[in-house]
Amino acid sequence: MPLDTSSYSLALLRLDGRRWNELRRIHAQISTQPSADGSSYLEMGNTKVICIVSGPAEGKRGAGAGGGGERDQSNIVVEISVAGFSGVDRKRRRNDRRTTELQHTITQALQATVYTSHYGGSTITISLHVLAQDGALLAACINAATLALIDAGVPMSDYLVACTAGSTTHASASAPQKPVGQQASIPGLSSLSGGGNFEDTDDPLLDLNGLEEQELPFLTVATLGGERDAVVVCLLETRVHAARVEEMLAVGVDGCKRVREILDGVVRVHGRRMVEGG
Amino acid sequence: MAPSATQTLLSPAELSYIHHSLSLSPPIRPDGRSPTEFRPLFAETDILPNTNGSARVCFADGSEAIAGVKAEVERSIARPGLDISADDDGEEERHGENAWVEMSIEIPGHRDDDALPVFLAAMLTEALLADSELKDRLWINRRFHWKLYIDILLLSPPSSYPLPLLSLTTHLSLLSTHLPALISDPADDPLFNDDWHSATPLYPPSSSTPPVTLLVTTIGETILLDPTPEELAVADAVLALSVAAPLPSKAKKGKGNPQARLLAIRTLDPPSRLTPLGTTAGPTEGAPPRTGMAWAPPQGGLKRELLSRVIKAVVAPGGGAEEVLAGLAGVVA
Repeated sequence: MPLDTSSYSLALLRLDGRRWNELRRIHAQISTQPSADGSSYLEMGNTKVICIVSGPAEGKRGAGAGGGGERDQSNIVVEISVAGFSGVDRKRRRNDRRTTELQHTITQALQATVYTSHYGGSTITISLHVLAQDGALLAACINAATLALIDAGVPMSDYLVACTAGSTTHASASAPQKPVGQQASIPGLSSLSGGGNFEDTDDPLLDLNGLEEQELPFLTVATLGGERDAVVVCLLETRVHAARVEEMLAVGVDGCKRVREILDGVVRVHGRRMVEGG
Repeated sequence: MAPSATQTLLSPAELSYIHHSLSLSPPIRPDGRSPTEFRPLFAETDILPNTNGSARVCFADGSEAIAGVKAEVERSIARPGLDISADDDGEEERHGENAWVEMSIEIPGHRDDDALPVFLAAMLTEALLADSELKDRLWINRRFHWKLYIDILLLSPPSSYPLPLLSLTTHLSLLSTHLPALISDPADDPLFNDDWHSATPLYPPSSSTPPVTLLVTTIGETILLDPTPEELAVADAVLALSVAAPLPSKAKKGKGNPQARLLAIRTLDPPSRLTPLGTTAGPTEGAPPRTGMAWAPPQGGLKRELLSRVIKAVVAPGGGAEEVLAGLAGVVA
């Protein structure tokens, strides 16, 4: 439990040497699979996801919600398969509830982002293959799906980008001692300016890795990039004091902006290559 | 029998045309290859750092698969009766068990207990275990052994019969598999070196290679390696041959190139059996059933003489197996 907090308050460096507001390396490729309508490969740190989009195509009749009421909307189907070798220990994951919930979250988020009315009665199938997990699973899945949808040429209102944000905690601190407004504007400094009183400081952290996720409370936030910063997904599965959430959300939204820039760069490089390649 | 993959939609006239051009001597394949030529493929290994070995293979038709191998230490089931002789010799016999290798295949659109993934996994495991050296190498000591989990993901929908793709991916991932080096005394509870660079390969150079399973089609007297979906749609018979490279010890002794080792043969139900019958005009009365037909699905099995020619074409020095194995060895090296 005190793995992170013990060292963090001394040097303000995390386990992997990052500061509180640093993202892990994001590496992405699009059009990785020539035979698919749209495909992408995304690495966020050591989390690796492949996304393949097929469609918009004519959906199967009578398949789930593809009934009469959905004529003017396209149906988005998300399938997540977590490879048995993705974790530290080999685990066979059948369709468990956690995966189902992730699928539902992504479907809902994309239905708000994709112009589904353009493809009435059709189905867009998004299959996500998780090859390696090291935290930020949902965020990586959302980012990969966005890239693959762009590759497939499906119109969306903007990039749907996601990242995680967490908060350091102390075992003793059940509630923050300071009022939130007084929290230093640079979160990292609050623990230094505390004058040796380290007990009451909790700092928000950006983009947790797998180890940090196991120890610290974190939330996943997905926003529509651009100026508005509309939050589309906010998933918080761990217990955290209510006063921390605002801070974490602000850091998360800020991280999403940077993820958007990275993804935008990937798309532009790919677009330029396509234009040059003829 | 093998549940056939998706069917190609070809008319009886097209089937007849392809069948005829493939039965010529020399045969004319739809993509212009020679009968023993393989399609190009793209492959890479060691792509996932959190596995013991991994590989990705893409075929030219866009199908793609990723395989990851994970090894875990497991406690062996005690067999009191069997261990007595081992203690006297000093030299313990390292005997592996079939259950130490577990394979699972994930195919999009199929549940993991569907017939197709289960059948394919059984077939690939069978070929792996036919070479008993593999499971013996998983033996650590009398109480512990490695358990090998091979997970294969097929990323694209199974356009043609996915067996060769899955087999090549498994082969490459096993070739790149390393097991941590043992630093404790062999009789103790195992303790491993945490330096990945000193890990030992699962298939050391002195051993044979993991098997590859190749598809071979016969049409008339013609033998075709690496058939495309169109060729499978007119096949008289389809064989899956599992072969491994010759043992290095034999390679040195023998004169010239030794032949590859044949580990398993299976006949598959070709998708051509399900093609529709095509008639030119209405069936003429009194005519034998197979004349006057534009296309009749092939019936019957495979002649022994043809089977031996098929095996020779794959196994012989300079044959199909040697070409594939040499190509794949180049990927890992």
